Amino acid sequence: MSVKTTVSDTGPWVGQPLPRREDARLTAGAGVFTDDIRMPGMLHAAFLRSPHAHARIARINADKARALPGVHAVITGMEVEQQTKPISTIIPFKTFLPNYCLAVDKARYAGEPVAAVAAVDRATAEDAAELIEVEYEPLPAVVDPWQAIENPPAHVFDELKTNVVWHDTFSYGEVDAAFANAAHVVSDRFTVQRYISTALETMGVIGRWESSGLTLWSADQRPGFATHALTTALQIPHSQIRLISPDIGGGFGNKRKATYMAIIALLARMADRPVKYLEDRQENLLGLVHASNQVMDLSMALDAEGKILGLKLRDVVDEGSNVINPTLHSMLKFTNMLNNYAIPAVSFEGYAVLTNKCHSGANRGIGKPFMCFVIERAIEMAAKKIGMDSIELRRKNFIPASAMPYEAPMGNVYDSGDFAATLDTALRTAGYDDLLQQQAEARRQGRYFGIGLATAVEPNSLNLSAYTLMTGRTDTSGVGEGALVRMEGDGSVRVSLGNTASGQGYETVVAQIVADELGIHPDQVTVAPGFDSAVNPWLHCSGSFANKFSGTDVGAIIEAARTIRAKALRIAAHLTGHKEDELTIRESAIWAHGANEPLLPLGKVAMTAYRDLLRLPEGEMPGLEARHFYVDPQSNLPARDPDDKRLRFQLTFSNSAHIAVTEVDPNTGAVKILRYIVAHDCGREINPMLVEGMVHGATTHGIGGALYEDLAYDENGQLLAASFMDYLKPTALDVPEFEVVALETPSPFTPLGAKGVGEGGSIPSLAAITNSVEDALKPLGITLTELPLTPNRIWEAMQKARARQGTC
Amino acid sequence: MSGPKQHDVQFTVNGKTETVSVAPRTSLADALRESLGLTGTHIGCEHGVCGACTVLIEGKPMRSCLMFAVQAEGAAITTIEGIGEANAPHPLQRAFNECHGLHCGFCTPGMIVTLSAFLRENLKPTAADVREAISGNLCMCTGYQNIVKSALRAAELIEESKP
Amino acid sequence: MKPAPFQYVAAESVEHAIALLTEHGPNAKLIAGGQSLVPMMNFRLARPDWLIDINRISNLAGIRVEGNTLRIGSMTRYADLEASDTVRRHAPLLGLILPHIAHAAIRNRGTVGGSVCHADPAAEMPVAMLALDAVFEVRGPVGTRRIAANDFFLGQMTTAIEADEILTAIDLPVARAEDAAGFSEFARRRGDFALASAAVVLRLAGDQLTDHVRIAVGGLSERPMRARGAEALLAGWNAEPALIERAAREAANEVDAGSDLHATESYRRHLVQTQVKLALTAALERTRLAGAKR
Repeated sequence: MSVKTTVSDTGPWVGQPLPRREDARLTAGAGVFTDDIRMPGMLHAAFLRSPHAHARIARINADKARALPGVHAVITGMEVEQQTKPISTIIPFKTFLPNYCLAVDKARYAGEPVAAVAAVDRATAEDAAELIEVEYEPLPAVVDPWQAIENPPAHVFDELKTNVVWHDTFSYGEVDAAFANAAHVVSDRFTVQRYISTALETMGVIGRWESSGLTLWSADQRPGFATHALTTALQIPHSQIRLISPDIGGGFGNKRKATYMAIIALLARMADRPVKYLEDRQENLLGLVHASNQVMDLSMALDAEGKILGLKLRDVVDEGSNVINPTLHSMLKFTNMLNNYAIPAVSFEGYAVLTNKCHSGANRGIGKPFMCFVIERAIEMAAKKIGMDSIELRRKNFIPASAMPYEAPMGNVYDSGDFAATLDTALRTAGYDDLLQQQAEARRQGRYFGIGLATAVEPNSLNLSAYTLMTGRTDTSGVGEGALVRMEGDGSVRVSLGNTASGQGYETVVAQIVADELGIHPDQVTVAPGFDSAVNPWLHCSGSFANKFSGTDVGAIIEAARTIRAKALRIAAHLTGHKEDELTIRESAIWAHGANEPLLPLGKVAMTAYRDLLRLPEGEMPGLEARHFYVDPQSNLPARDPDDKRLRFQLTFSNSAHIAVTEVDPNTGAVKILRYIVAHDCGREINPMLVEGMVHGATTHGIGGALYEDLAYDENGQLLAASFMDYLKPTALDVPEFEVVALETPSPFTPLGAKGVGEGGSIPSLAAITNSVEDALKPLGITLTELPLTPNRIWEAMQKARARQGTC
Repeated sequence: MSGPKQHDVQFTVNGKTETVSVAPRTSLADALRESLGLTGTHIGCEHGVCGACTVLIEGKPMRSCLMFAVQAEGAAITTIEGIGEANAPHPLQRAFNECHGLHCGFCTPGMIVTLSAFLRENLKPTAADVREAISGNLCMCTGYQNIVKSALRAAELIEESKP
Repeated sequence: MKPAPFQYVAAESVEHAIALLTEHGPNAKLIAGGQSLVPMMNFRLARPDWLIDINRISNLAGIRVEGNTLRIGSMTRYADLEASDTVRRHAPLLGLILPHIAHAAIRNRGTVGGSVCHADPAAEMPVAMLALDAVFEVRGPVGTRRIAANDFFLGQMTTAIEADEILTAIDLPVARAEDAAGFSEFARRRGDFALASAAVVLRLAGDQLTDHVRIAVGGLSERPMRARGAEALLAGWNAEPALIERAAREAANEVDAGSDLHATESYRRHLVQTQVKLALTAALERTRLAGAKR
């Protein structure tokens, strides 16, 4: 039963596929991105980065660099250690880890910044960086995560005396009993490579010291986190840091870098000039952030009828040199172990391991694509083992729509969704039976034609209380956002958010929401582009992450809008002599219910609030603006009992079903995607055109991860793919035309019934493609458990299989 | 004997004659952005792969990150700023808006510049033709589908505007 | 990624370019289209101290037929080769490889001479040059010399051109009616460098291959190579599928294939085999169709 609800009663704009406001300036090339900003006297920075994956820094001599004409400031680890405190970490360590913005005693990955130069232009800064003499004492590089645990050639942080920065087990339900009673157990090891979203705009930051403190311009997605880290690093009051985010050319979780801000702040102070730093693409690939690579050992226990009884996962996450926020991937995996299925018992033993590679961090999906990959692969393996169709196996185990809201063993509450309907919609759209016929014909011709599917939940928002359970940190909980809505004297409205857009279309979507709440036209609503910490309302959890917009941010926006709506009605009632509940706002005017003519324009109400102050109702404050800081009411604290590790980690759950039709070229092992079908449900769609765009884009990220992208390191810790010539992004010729169908099962937990969609496509796509390619290779009996599915890898698997089969 | 540290280079940009004084190693992309303030041309890789820096030179798409400004003496350059106007957007700009051909907008100038040349030569392209035409322009946000849709819509608009 | 500093001069003629090369010594470099050189300079892998721009030299580009020779000026842009009917008619192999070279924006600026002199082992143009028996006209302070393609590509990014010489033209024997060209490459994405490529030119006498069989292989570790063993297998025989297979296998074994991020040695050899087979098959198919038309 497919559920598509119609737009409900709040107003005409939410649900419309409105073209975007922001397009006018962006299509004209008039967007203002960090590198477009210039100011008088601005200098440019370049970094000297370690060529070694692991090396002691014995001596640095920057004299020649400082002497180069055009150079205004040079800093090395020495100045950083003297002038700053370490960058604060999200995970509290028992041992103090001196993690500064530049390498101080050791370089811990190839590409780690070791020194920084500010000069009249970037080219001169690079010339100067080359003149800095560094004496390195190379150390053995820790590269393999297993070896990092068991028999490491070195410790990434000597102080830790281990490379295991986190190891814990989360167990819910009777896992041992589940496996003891199982009729079938499926186990395998799955390996996923490092990859990263690579926003087309690289990361940048401009710093300028002013009498009021430090002002930064940066494409930063999490303003609260970065500036907070700077207060401790630079030892200045938070009130003296101002962060401005201009247009951001893609974020995907990658755009946050307190260390670069600290370096630029130091250079700017030393040079007494504003300083700009823009990563180049090589630096972006080497050192901004990677999604971790991992090795995941999964066991799935099923009964004789195919009901999943339990899951056990042991997961080793290669964090690289990440000591800022390790465990992020681990947490987002175990909290999503259920995927769409009613599994009563799950246990997760996770390791977060340090190696001499770029630090891991947030990327589109964070952990969830890998978790979904493992579950959906196991489903296929289980189906094969039991001799059941994997579609039937899924249907048998889906959490049914009738069970919603459904409490998962680890504490997540799935709000709504009809997983069976989503899957059925995908199958119908794909013409599944016809596809099976096509496949049969193709197989008769000796072609390798595959149909693969994967279903996924897409969790939205992230309850930051999770860190208490992961790391013992007790000063962070819940999740929220801030919104300011101000109606001007002519009835037009200005909105500013704690969140910054990096392509999501907030300027349009927020205008739609506010227009509905206030009974005005979206053209009357201006959403401030960008972010200014001196002006926008924000919390430390503000920003763009975990798909939180549709539930959490919308909550803040709606509450602020409703506050001024209520005030407008109070003022209108006072002005017109009506009672408030007799009035409504529509088409920018105040109407009495049932009247044919409006009573007065909304602008008159606003003008009263701003100018005719003595004619306001008794006790009513002037102005017509509201700032609302919203805590998502779905978030909670962990139980007092430390053994109870349940939490509402994520707050609402979108879901999707992907079907990938692929063909493998037996001569080269190359995979071609013939068709790609997506059925998805993100609840009430605020702007369906933008939602569908997100599905295209996120799924493309998954295709890149499944087939093309590999941040491979050699045994010396050297990144082999440090340019776009070797790090392969999908082009328009590499992705198919997506066939997307939307279902809308509103969330009972969010103000508009909307759920998130930004990450969704990236979550099941790794699995859908792998299931499809494995299906294509079914005549050869190949099992695929390692990504990416490069032609080389596929071909070698085919060769081995042919040899086994005695064919050629 | 050493050469000059700065060269004066004259070229036309969007129909206007400009003179810039640049070091030999200044790329055309940097000269357009820094010396002329035309920041619509974006830099995404500096090795010719991503296409964000694409401009037209004598009407042909080229990578401005792979040319030195000194080499552009006498060239006729078109950047995104020269395509369409605020009150008279180019059909591509209208179509990208109608069909949601952009998210973050960073690849968009390069896409539109590339497509503007493509649509001049290809009046009735297919989706496959468009994908081929933009295969040298990376987008990290859209998954390309709506860019293709936008290009096809722009071709329609161009056709409709003919007398 | 900004280049190391250099000085710049635009040469006004070939003689001027040679004089400048001589004057500024071995660390001066010519810049043609720049589509290969500038990325290397941006990465600071190439650091010439003088850049001599030859884009202003008026008589270095052009395509014309002189008797049995198709003469292509070294500064001819890829896009102009693509658009040329003369090239399509007289060197059809070039028409086959051009769509595989990077993307249109690169081809609008990149030059055939630049690619040949840059000699990236994975580039398509050098492979075609080998298969076409190209002769390169090179001019230096002591005069002009002609270098056969077989003697030109010496190693990774290394050719027989001296530091004070400039490639002025590429001479290709005009294709004969009985010639068939074929090209195949395997790359991860359209426009990427080939993991393995094969360019073939076959001259037939009726159904039989003459001894003019050229199989050039690219995507190897050092430089493109002629698969001479494979050629010898085919020369003088009828082009039967089994023979094509054998020749492809021989080609795969005799070339020097290496391992890198994108392909192991054994996979690469296998790719060489498949691409040689595809190129040969395509060439023969073209002949069959042409023969059917006649």
